[in-house]
Amino acid sequence: MNQLIALLLATPLLSALLILLLPNGKRHSVARVSVSLSALTFVIAGISLAVYLFHPHTHWLSSGQAWGSLYLDPLTSVMAMAVSGISLVVHIYAVRYMAEEPGYARFYILLDLMTASILLMVAAGDLITLLVAWHLIGVLLYFLLGHDLVRPAAQRYAFWSFFTYRVGDLPLILASVLLYRAYGTFAIPTLFEHITANPDAQTVFGLPLTFVVAMLIALSAFARSAQFPLHTWLPYTMEGPTPVSALMHAGIVNAGGFIINRFAPVFIHAGFVLHIVFAVGMITAIMGSVLMLTQNDIKKSLGYSTMGQMGFMFVECGVGAFSLAIYHLVAHGLFKGTLFLDAGSMIGNARKQDGVPHDDIYTFVVERKPIASRMPWVVAAAVTVVVPFLVLWVSRWLVAGDFIGQQGAVILLFFGWATGAQLLFATYRLRADNPWRLMAMIILSLIIVVFGYTVIEHAFNLFLYPDEALRNRIYAAASIPIGTFETLVAILTATIVLGWIAVYYSTANGKQKSGNTSAARLAVYSLISREFYVSDVYTWLTQGILRLSQRMNVLLRWV
Amino acid sequence: MALTLAAAIFLPLFPFSIVLNGMLMRLSNPYARFLLLLLWPQIGIVALSFTNQAIPGYMVIWALISSAHYALRLLTIRDLGLWAGFLASSSLALTWGLAAHHAPIEMHFFALWFSLPAALLTLLTGPLVKRFGAAYAGLYGGLASSMPRLSILLVVTVFAAIATPPSPGFFAMLNLLQRQSWPAAAAVSIIWLFWSWAATKLLQGFVFGADRRHGMPDLGRKSTLLYMSVLCAFVVTGIYITGGAL
Repeated sequence: MNQLIALLLATPLLSALLILLLPNGKRHSVARVSVSLSALTFVIAGISLAVYLFHPHTHWLSSGQAWGSLYLDPLTSVMAMAVSGISLVVHIYAVRYMAEEPGYARFYILLDLMTASILLMVAAGDLITLLVAWHLIGVLLYFLLGHDLVRPAAQRYAFWSFFTYRVGDLPLILASVLLYRAYGTFAIPTLFEHITANPDAQTVFGLPLTFVVAMLIALSAFARSAQFPLHTWLPYTMEGPTPVSALMHAGIVNAGGFIINRFAPVFIHAGFVLHIVFAVGMITAIMGSVLMLTQNDIKKSLGYSTMGQMGFMFVECGVGAFSLAIYHLVAHGLFKGTLFLDAGSMIGNARKQDGVPHDDIYTFVVERKPIASRMPWVVAAAVTVVVPFLVLWVSRWLVAGDFIGQQGAVILLFFGWATGAQLLFATYRLRADNPWRLMAMIILSLIIVVFGYTVIEHAFNLFLYPDEALRNRIYAAASIPIGTFETLVAILTATIVLGWIAVYYSTANGKQKSGNTSAARLAVYSLISREFYVSDVYTWLTQGILRLSQRMNVLLRWV
Repeated sequence: MALTLAAAIFLPLFPFSIVLNGMLMRLSNPYARFLLLLLWPQIGIVALSFTNQAIPGYMVIWALISSAHYALRLLTIRDLGLWAGFLASSSLALTWGLAAHHAPIEMHFFALWFSLPAALLTLLTGPLVKRFGAAYAGLYGGLASSMPRLSILLVVTVFAAIATPPSPGFFAMLNLLQRQSWPAAAAVSIIWLFWSWAATKLLQGFVFGADRRHGMPDLGRKSTLLYMSVLCAFVVTGIYITGGAL
């Protein structure tokens, strides 16, 4: 097993080395070597996962030095499988996509090194190895995003990403330093044993060590996964080549969710930090979704969609559903990677077919089809409110009867309910020949998706966190006082239900038009179109620092 | 105390850093600059080893301020030789953080891990001045297209100089951080962040962008191999020594 872990990391490195040694101009050989070894990496990851499933024991492979150790546990197995799978798809896609681009060999070398670094991050057995991999990912991403060496925009946004990643590196470094000082070891499994045995250790200003460390790790995760207010770099990573965007949005950006899961034994002692994670995730999800809806560029829209999804992933961590966050990041990685790689075809198709629906008269007279209609709004409103809740509640109850009693589960049900209802509302707005049939099909799809998702997520939870006590402690850490919780849920439920009913009513009565432009509407629009002015604040700050630096240099010259 | 102040010239603390930076400005030969940067801090550490008294706390604070001052100024320096000197002034000042813990061997290595890449950078000014008349970021740009070998060496050396893993500077910084007080560790982290920012600004001025001076010859294969071998030896030795020392 130990050899497998080492081989998993060595294979992409070997690929990078072989490409480096190939003579210039051998593009076919470069692609063949890289794709073959990427496929081999995927196979090794699959074998590691299979071996772990049959012999579920964690492995810690020491290098004999203070760092360089590797750790294989359920989290490593799942992440290695996801990372190597997405990397393989990106490798294959890039064979043709990058064929006309200069720096073909350089691109594959960087891609292989990036794969190796991500795998090293997920398999790191000690804090220094984790830091090395964490840091290298940022550096390699800088070069991958700036692959086009000539275009200034590519370089500018590559720098943004790199700088944000460096901002995120520092809290993780400080957290590692604090942990080493407190427990005298860098080895991750040993550290967790120490934390479990002595969770009340104190650190700077008499604060609990677990609280400070968890906060620093959360900050690092925020930068890595584009959480507010460190999100501005993510949508602009589209300036890089499409395969890099796919890898970025499908794999690299998920590191925040991974690191929180890796340090789960720390977070169970830092409930307040989980509440902060929840709040930041919630703000990011809302901002990402709002900004996504206002984009007219498919890739930028997908970028903001990723930001929203990362927000949801942090919300899941914040409510204690750590394993769900991992499942989410894997699922998101697969579908977002597909969307990015398909974006080019979508643009091509849109040029041929505008996709604008015809009006009723055209449909009836020219196409000779019956005029589309809608369900009665009262029925649709009732279905929207009741059906998603029933589907979610029953599915959860089937996999774990006591699950409903947990706060985190209720919040997740709440989200599921809101998004399910959103789907049904969108269905209601579609005009169809047979609206009842359409609604029935959508509900059936919803049931299949929710049941599948619930069962898989439950299996994930049991696989990633086999220790039931740890599972329960994560949920307990994320809990808030029951009275506060129930009041919040009641207020939100009433607001959402009343909002939906009002929207259904106004839509059914033809009042859904946006109306005249008011000053308030324009202010909101300009706020959104300027992306809430977050980038402007950063630009102002950086220009201020650069001006100060310039003035000092003018004053002091070479001194 | 006199020895401590003398050490402040060799492990440069502002304004004593004027001596090192002045000498770097005066010396036009890249090899002389290389040797100066390599040996200068080692003299300071030897001087410190002769002082029998503990390093006062204010010296560490002074060192942090001096290091931050040069890190900030590094952001808008465009001359490669001066950039290397300022980076050395910023990084070598941090050696005082180890001096307070009486770790002479670690100090020698810490100074080496930071002075060697800076010294190697000064070597790269030679071919640039020879070809373009100045080693100035933003003056020509696009070296990645016209001079790929030189660009690779510049990129790798700059990243090694700002303590990017697996360069030994990274492990030395971790070692330094775990010996500092909480506020000092936070300050060192911010200084480190400024180095990264300055490095990307420098590279954007040299390596990236459109090639505006066509037809300039790249570095020779032998010089590139020799330079790369030194860098590889530096990284491997550093990993071996710092990895075991942590």
